Amino acid sequence: MDKHFDVIVVGAGNGGLAAAANTAKAGLKTLLLEKHNIPGGCATSFRRGRFEFEPSLHELCSVGTADKPDLVYKVFDDLGAKPNWCYETGHLFRAIVKGENGYDVRLEAGIEDFCNSVDAAVPGSKASVRKFVDLKPKIDAAIDYIYATKGNPNGLVMLLKHSDFMRTAGHSVEQVMTACGIPEKAQNIICTYWGYLGVPTDELNAMHFLNMLYGYMVDGAAMPKHRSHELSLSLIDVIQKHGGEVWYNSEVTQFLYNDDGSVAGVVANEEKLYSKEVISNVIPHNVFNMSQLDKIPEQNLKLANAREFGISVVTIYLGLDCTAEELGLEDYTVFIMGHPNPRVQHDTRAEDGLYIVNCLNNVIPDSSPEGTCTLFFTMPIFGHDVPKDLKPQDYKKYKNDLAKKYIEDAEKVLGISIMPHIEEISVATPVTFARYLGTPEGTIYGYKLSGWDNLMARIAGEKADYAIPGLNFCGGHYIRGDGYSCAYIMGDTVAKKVVKRLKGGA
Amino acid sequence: MALWKLNPMDFTKMNPTRQAKIKAAPAKPLPATNSYVPNQIANALHPKVQYLKVVKIEEEACNAKRYYLAPNEEKGTKALAWFSAGQYLSITLKIGSMALTRPYSLASSPRESLEGIYMLTIQKVEGGLASQFIHDNWQIGTEVTASEPLGNFTYEPLRDATTVVAVVGGSSITPFRALAMAIADGDEDCDLTILYGSRTLEDTIFQKDLKELEANCARIKLVNIFSHEEREGHEHGFITAELIKKYAPKGAFSLFVCGPQVMRKFVDKEIETLGLRKKFIRNELFGEYFGPAKEADYPENVAPAFKVTVRIAGTEQTITAPSDVSLLRSLEAAGIAAPAHCRSGECGWCHSKLVSGDIYTPKSVDGRREADLLYGYIHPCCSFPLSDLVIEVPPVAK
Repeated sequence: MDKHFDVIVVGAGNGGLAAAANTAKAGLKTLLLEKHNIPGGCATSFRRGRFEFEPSLHELCSVGTADKPDLVYKVFDDLGAKPNWCYETGHLFRAIVKGENGYDVRLEAGIEDFCNSVDAAVPGSKASVRKFVDLKPKIDAAIDYIYATKGNPNGLVMLLKHSDFMRTAGHSVEQVMTACGIPEKAQNIICTYWGYLGVPTDELNAMHFLNMLYGYMVDGAAMPKHRSHELSLSLIDVIQKHGGEVWYNSEVTQFLYNDDGSVAGVVANEEKLYSKEVISNVIPHNVFNMSQLDKIPEQNLKLANAREFGISVVTIYLGLDCTAEELGLEDYTVFIMGHPNPRVQHDTRAEDGLYIVNCLNNVIPDSSPEGTCTLFFTMPIFGHDVPKDLKPQDYKKYKNDLAKKYIEDAEKVLGISIMPHIEEISVATPVTFARYLGTPEGTIYGYKLSGWDNLMARIAGEKADYAIPGLNFCGGHYIRGDGYSCAYIMGDTVAKKVVKRLKGGA
Repeated sequence: MALWKLNPMDFTKMNPTRQAKIKAAPAKPLPATNSYVPNQIANALHPKVQYLKVVKIEEEACNAKRYYLAPNEEKGTKALAWFSAGQYLSITLKIGSMALTRPYSLASSPRESLEGIYMLTIQKVEGGLASQFIHDNWQIGTEVTASEPLGNFTYEPLRDATTVVAVVGGSSITPFRALAMAIADGDEDCDLTILYGSRTLEDTIFQKDLKELEANCARIKLVNIFSHEEREGHEHGFITAELIKKYAPKGAFSLFVCGPQVMRKFVDKEIETLGLRKKFIRNELFGEYFGPAKEADYPENVAPAFKVTVRIAGTEQTITAPSDVSLLRSLEAAGIAAPAHCRSGECGWCHSKLVSGDIYTPKSVDGRREADLLYGYIHPCCSFPLSDLVIEVPPVAK
């Protein structure tokens, strides 16, 4: 058997799948290695009894439709992958803050409707919200200019023509919103989405947040009809149709290097496999730990040491023997928070911070059998929030205690009865994600998009940050951070660069 | 405050700030993944493989033997993974040129795993390849390769009623010995009534243990039902709906049903008449599915055997597969090691791609995901060939 490939992709997560599908379609001899028996990483599904659960996806932003395709739709469509996209119609989300200064609001999709729904909750806020949202086209114009100059924009042109971009990209969400004159309550309502990026909005880069927010406002939220497993299999199909190899149960245990420091290949299942380039969906921490230390450029090792891990989650999957209607829940996404402020939500995450309740049947009615529905709870917590003295034998109780607490809280807040209807239950924690993803601390968001390590700064540092020749990265730990859409887009982008290098024309 | 008051030049400071932060960080090796708490717990609960050793063997009733297993430290297993009562181990066996797996429920108490002991009780089945092999070959000191504890046939306090009524036949009693012990140890918080069907008292596995557990723990009750003898103080016949009603509490209870296909055919019909909500019936098929031809939707005139081309990690070979044998068994018979755990359609560990051809999967054991059906994936443990096939099977991880 030939052990030489043009490209080896390590890890069939969303980034790795999009990357391998691109290189295979471009005619490069591609091998995708995955340690599990199925693809997707977090993008999969699992069955319990008569239910098939979505393990991680809430909704994708920037998908769009066949008539009005956005980035993600195009990534799939250009590859020839045809998942059955479904869309959340009506509102984007419902946000409930408990307590005295609480509120219960629903935000609508579409720019105008979105601003109106914020205004309905905070009268007089519309103009300021609009001002914030209208920064998005200015950002796009600036980025187009930066691309046109191949990353070397003229400072004076930037300052004269794109100063609002610099203001947005150079400050936190909170700073820019405050500068736009958005009242605090309206800020809190809009910033409900912080959990999707894992960083509270006083630290999160404004441009990054606005990009995501805009993606949801304009396109609405999208998801595949048959859980994320469908997205993953649709990309596997592309890879195999174009002659790419996909090997499951094939965990990479070592990265191989040439004398000149460039990557030579990997070891999987005790076998050496060689390629011209490697695309790693695996987090640099793990890659470096599987590499000879002297092959890691000092700057890259320092960066890894400087970084904090991104957030993980506790998730509860419930199969109920009643319909969503019988349950009395009409929303797909409900954010429930103990306090209106994102920073406080973040700091009290282990007690009463923020959690999300999703009912997939409210978008895809037949996503569970007739007469049933599923609920999906998500609480953002860090891997280091798991108690240090937790013993393996007490882990089941730890999970059930968490589940009980959140289910009972949701029953109270939403005024519905969940507990008597539980036909299937499964609970995941950072331990679960550590098990399936193998990431340090069970992070699902790679590295924290900290103030200093934000999207814009990562873009500027890209060349120096990924300095091993032939070794490319994609996935939640990469430049754009986590989220299905980001991972697909970056996998696509990185692979296209590899294709250009290997097939010439660059 | 207005937007123009935000200093655009702050943008130019971001990269230098980041570079300074990186420069100040040490260039030391990164911590091992197993140094983080979530990874440590994950690795302790879910080892990729457990190397074990037989340390004690005891005869049981009904042609069964108890095998006590301890960690094989020389091979790298220092401690046993904790489990929930009701879980099983998938044991890898090498019989001649065949590599195969078998799932066996853990019959010991979860507490005992902390002391380095798992116990499996394996009944020697007439014509049973694996059980014959184990009975003939496992001795004290025999090295055994096992999976992490697997399966979801466990008590879940937020889902199940506070009383579990177990409906069990023959050697399928193993998971309930574990559950009874876990209750007695305080690791599970429920009441347990075991309706245990066997031929005669003499054929009853764990009778002494279960009686002792019943005597020492008020939460546990044992009801023997003998099909082949009448005995004072015991039930006679089969486990019927009437019998379940007689011993079940007045309020809510969860029925945990475990037994081989032949017993399930009878019992499932009885249970149906009870009109219980699905959430209160938990099922575990004990043993594999066999005999697809008896199903109403099985096609007619299926040839006795087909050619199956098997692709694994860049290799390809062709085997002959009888139509009434699961693809997994045909792979194993041909000496091909294929991934498998539950062997009854549920866990999905054998998830494989059907590249071309047709297979039959009985509805009762079709545990595939929706998208699997769209993209042509199968579970070989419950797939029976209807034509020549090309399949792509994942390798067994090394």
